[in-house]
Amino acid sequence: MSENILELNNIVKTFPGVIALKNVSMSVRRNEILGLVGENGAGKSTLMKILIGLYQPDSGEFLLRGEPAMLKDPDSAMRAGIGMVFQEGCMIPNLTVMENIFLSHEENFRKYGLLSRSSMVREANKVLSAVKLHVDPNTLVAELSAADKQMVEIARLLWLLRQYGQENPILILDEPTTVLLREEVQTLFEILTELKKSASIVFISHRLEEVIENTDRIVILKDGEFVKEMPSHEADMARVEGLLVGHGFSDDRYHESDQNEPADEIMLEVKDLVHEGQFAPISFTLRRGEVLSLVGLIGSGKEEVCRCLSGLAPADGGTVAVQGKRAFIRTPKDAIRAGIGYIPVDRRSDGLALDLNVEENINLLVLKKYQTGPFSNLKSEHQNAKFWVKENNIKTPSLRTRTANLSGGNQQKVVLSKWLSSSVKVLIVDHPTRGIDVGAKDEIYRRLRSLSDEGMSIIVMCDTLEEDIGLSHRMIIMKDGAFVREVPCPRSEKPRPVDIIGYVV
Amino acid sequence: MSGEPTPAAGEKKPLLVNRKRQFPAIYFALGLLVLFIVLFSIGNKGFLSAYNVRNIGMSASILLAVGLGQVCTILTGGIDLSVGGLMSLVSVLFMVLLPMVGYWAYPICILVGVFAGYLNGNLLSRVRIPSFIATLGTGGIFVSVAYLISPVAISAPKAIQPLLEIVNGTTFGVRNILIIGALMFVGFLVLERYTIIGRHIFYVGSNVRMSWLSGLNVTRIKNVAFSLSGFGAAVAGIMLASRQYSGYPTIGTVYILNSIATVVVGGTAMTGGAGGALNTLIGAIIMSVLQNGMTVVGIDVYFQQTLLGLLIILSVAVTFDRSKLAIIK
Amino acid sequence: MNNIPGRKILARISKTGVGGQLFSLLLILILFVVGTGGEYISIRNIQTILGLAGIPIIIAMGLHLVIVLGAMDLSVEGIIAICGVLTGLLLRNKITPFDIGFWIVPIVMAAGAMIGWVNGALNTKLRMPSFISTLGMSWAFFGVAILISGGKSIHILDDRFQRIINGEIIGIPNILLIAVVLLVIFQLLQTRTKFGRHVYAIGGDEQLAKQAGVKVDRVKIISFMIAGLFYGLSALLLVTRLSSAAARIGNNTLFPAMTAVAVGGVALTGGIGGAKNAALGALIITALNNGLVMMKVIPYAQDAVNGLVLIVAVALTIDRKKLGFIK
Repeated sequence: MSENILELNNIVKTFPGVIALKNVSMSVRRNEILGLVGENGAGKSTLMKILIGLYQPDSGEFLLRGEPAMLKDPDSAMRAGIGMVFQEGCMIPNLTVMENIFLSHEENFRKYGLLSRSSMVREANKVLSAVKLHVDPNTLVAELSAADKQMVEIARLLWLLRQYGQENPILILDEPTTVLLREEVQTLFEILTELKKSASIVFISHRLEEVIENTDRIVILKDGEFVKEMPSHEADMARVEGLLVGHGFSDDRYHESDQNEPADEIMLEVKDLVHEGQFAPISFTLRRGEVLSLVGLIGSGKEEVCRCLSGLAPADGGTVAVQGKRAFIRTPKDAIRAGIGYIPVDRRSDGLALDLNVEENINLLVLKKYQTGPFSNLKSEHQNAKFWVKENNIKTPSLRTRTANLSGGNQQKVVLSKWLSSSVKVLIVDHPTRGIDVGAKDEIYRRLRSLSDEGMSIIVMCDTLEEDIGLSHRMIIMKDGAFVREVPCPRSEKPRPVDIIGYVV
Repeated sequence: MSGEPTPAAGEKKPLLVNRKRQFPAIYFALGLLVLFIVLFSIGNKGFLSAYNVRNIGMSASILLAVGLGQVCTILTGGIDLSVGGLMSLVSVLFMVLLPMVGYWAYPICILVGVFAGYLNGNLLSRVRIPSFIATLGTGGIFVSVAYLISPVAISAPKAIQPLLEIVNGTTFGVRNILIIGALMFVGFLVLERYTIIGRHIFYVGSNVRMSWLSGLNVTRIKNVAFSLSGFGAAVAGIMLASRQYSGYPTIGTVYILNSIATVVVGGTAMTGGAGGALNTLIGAIIMSVLQNGMTVVGIDVYFQQTLLGLLIILSVAVTFDRSKLAIIK
Repeated sequence: MNNIPGRKILARISKTGVGGQLFSLLLILILFVVGTGGEYISIRNIQTILGLAGIPIIIAMGLHLVIVLGAMDLSVEGIIAICGVLTGLLLRNKITPFDIGFWIVPIVMAAGAMIGWVNGALNTKLRMPSFISTLGMSWAFFGVAILISGGKSIHILDDRFQRIINGEIIGIPNILLIAVVLLVIFQLLQTRTKFGRHVYAIGGDEQLAKQAGVKVDRVKIISFMIAGLFYGLSALLLVTRLSSAAARIGNNTLFPAMTAVAVGGVALTGGIGGAKNAALGALIITALNNGLVMMKVIPYAQDAVNGLVLIVAVALTIDRKKLGFIK
């Protein structure tokens, strides 16, 4: 019996235009808690999806209990003894706790053809006590707190794995502690330590302190590659952080050499903007042509600040002024009227009308501008679209092509063109390179750079710290809903990610 | 999962993805039309006579009027099931008002229609009731009001029949009702291509969240769509009452499904965002050809309903954009 | 204010999930008792209401299953039409030589179920939204019913059914007893079988249910079949009550059924509500309309009231989070 219950050797996984995993090798040992850390886009979730059968690796070896694993779907993975609790959870809200746990396995509780509630309750109580959760199995899941829901998910996974009876099952937990309070985190780790005796746990978290304290081993991924593995007792925050984000800048990846000083004119002034429960009062200014990056983990409040500025959610207090003029922003329409634009993170589903063609999508925000009298002037709209297709290098057979038929990258460019067409003065860009392949990323960086040179003020939230530092003139770090620090990122003196990460986590 | 590059299924070519989507539904509709015309003219030589063609045109005009209104709501992704009740209400109101206020009956009835549509729109956009339930309910209410005004059919007495010439008369040898239909078509076409509000309906129908994020006033746009539906139903109601020289509370019932059929068979997708006035014109002609043809060829009136039901299913199956809904309910 | 015994009872009632409905029923009772000077709650009238409610209850119970699933079934009238005509032709009548007596019961249920199967297949195999496919099917079946019956009424000579349906046991109309028995069976099905719970799972979140291993397509088809079965049964009852079968007996059954389902507390968005909700809703609507008739309200104002009730009931029970942007 080898020590490794699971072995991945030289796993490669690519998607169109992206290499998500480059020769990653990793192992999970029996009876251990393994911590998996890495930034967004590092490849953690791709790797886990391979483990549970959602993806198939392009090449490489996947050994389970010494034998090659043939996992064609999550169901087979479960039968083989591997299961995952997703961050979003998969509980059905209108069913009770026990109904969710035993969903599609109810036949175990049949008595004379009908389901026996009492035996379901009994078994549910047994399962719940294993995760130290004391709720009535008859409670509706919709009524549970986020923390309790999390524990029920784990309980469900446990029960399912036990059903299939594999030796030393593997539980993968994706960011389980995000919704837990301190005491609840303690309880969770007590449970996991108990569980360790007969199973292995892969623990994904961005909370490095937690991971170092409570796991046996740590694996670090970065940019789709395996960086390092170390026993947790040999790890310390600084070392892990450094390995996580890399050390410096090279090859002018973000065209930092073209970064110019912004003008003096203040375009956006935010004073004491606050949203109860989401973020504490925050203030900052943005100059013309400046790129400001908001940095923070999930729960830091940066996304919520952008939501308030772009009108997706109303703020509870504070003032926003664009070019000195006060703006009352409660809906996206208000924001746009004030001159603030927002490019959503999911550009395909939130940024385009797929049934409509390239022309129509690009011109959405400027229909009023290109009118003669009460009617639309299609010719000038056409010219506008033509201009942007050329400017942004959009590859399309014609302006009349339905946007549904364009490739992902070109769809993104259409969305960008739409916003550039309009007269917004401040542009909030939500994770500009998410879902974009490597070649297109460079175009985006160049575009953002030229935009700021032309005088557009940009607020950006990026997937990696490196990107944040590289693209911006200035960085505001947020943590747990509050402003932490402002860090300048001048062209000549870009801070190193490893220096910054300490403030972030 | 955050930070994941989204793999686009089957994306190999950089420019064109999913060839199937390029087949415009309008060719499907035109194909059907040609097929039916051919079939019916074989079945009965009188089908293509001038008299019959004019009949087809006249009933098509009514379908066109109510269909153009209905297509506005379907384009936004909703539906208006109250058109039948509204048409009935307008027909009764029209007959009652003509002896009382003469030509003023026309604008009053149209305003009533627009207002009723506006009411539907608000139920949808402000009270947040799904359109098909809201309009199912209001349809019943409209019929009730029609009965309240007059439980029995109201006929047009000889004295006011001249007032009906707006619909029944001819201008330069062309039946007015055809002219009205044509005008409505042109009007709606201009609306959907050259006015902002008309084009906004398409954006909302295609992707309502994106429209909201881009600053469109979705509430107002939906209200306008439903007001237009009320307008169309009102015009159709006036046409119907004029042609039949009477108004009664069940005159419009059959148009609930007929208006939906007109829209759908013409190739407008129920998912919203694709289709429009031209599709509806073709749909109205198809429906009219179908109903006229089936009668002329001798198919049982009720069996016609069966065929119609099947035709609707076929059309939806072809035009429904399944990629828009992750799960089909 | 601190009436402890009262509070306990209130808590128990609200736990059953039909508190609001019972309360409305009470309100209606009071309203019409006052309006009709007590005649509303005479034994005679209560019996009338119960007798009238029987068939709407059965129809509503069939319909609500599909709605809890998260789909829609607008084929009620079409299926009742065709099953009604079928009943007329298979029981002893003047037109056909058939005389199958009580065999009609399983046959009409099977017929309804088969048609329900078509609905389910259109939805799961052809991926057609149930809203439009059942609407189209309703027309198709209605047309076929008219075709078979030649558009005329069929007089049924076998009167055994009529006697059973119009009869009563200790004052309670038989038809209601039949409905109650079906109700009990249905409730058991929904709460104590794997199938029943899976319907709720799909209504709650279809994608998650599928991920968890629920056989969504199969559950959907069976649900449509059960609905069809109930419509077939109600067609049998409708037709034999009057000893006359015609395609139009299905007319005006959809609207009251939808209203009943909504009023009873079954959310249009799915996942919430059971047979008892549908049944209670049908009872409330029947009681409401009976009261309106007694108070001599103009027949077509009744339509307005029903329309209003439908809108309000849906507005109150719908889960807006699920709908996102209302279409």
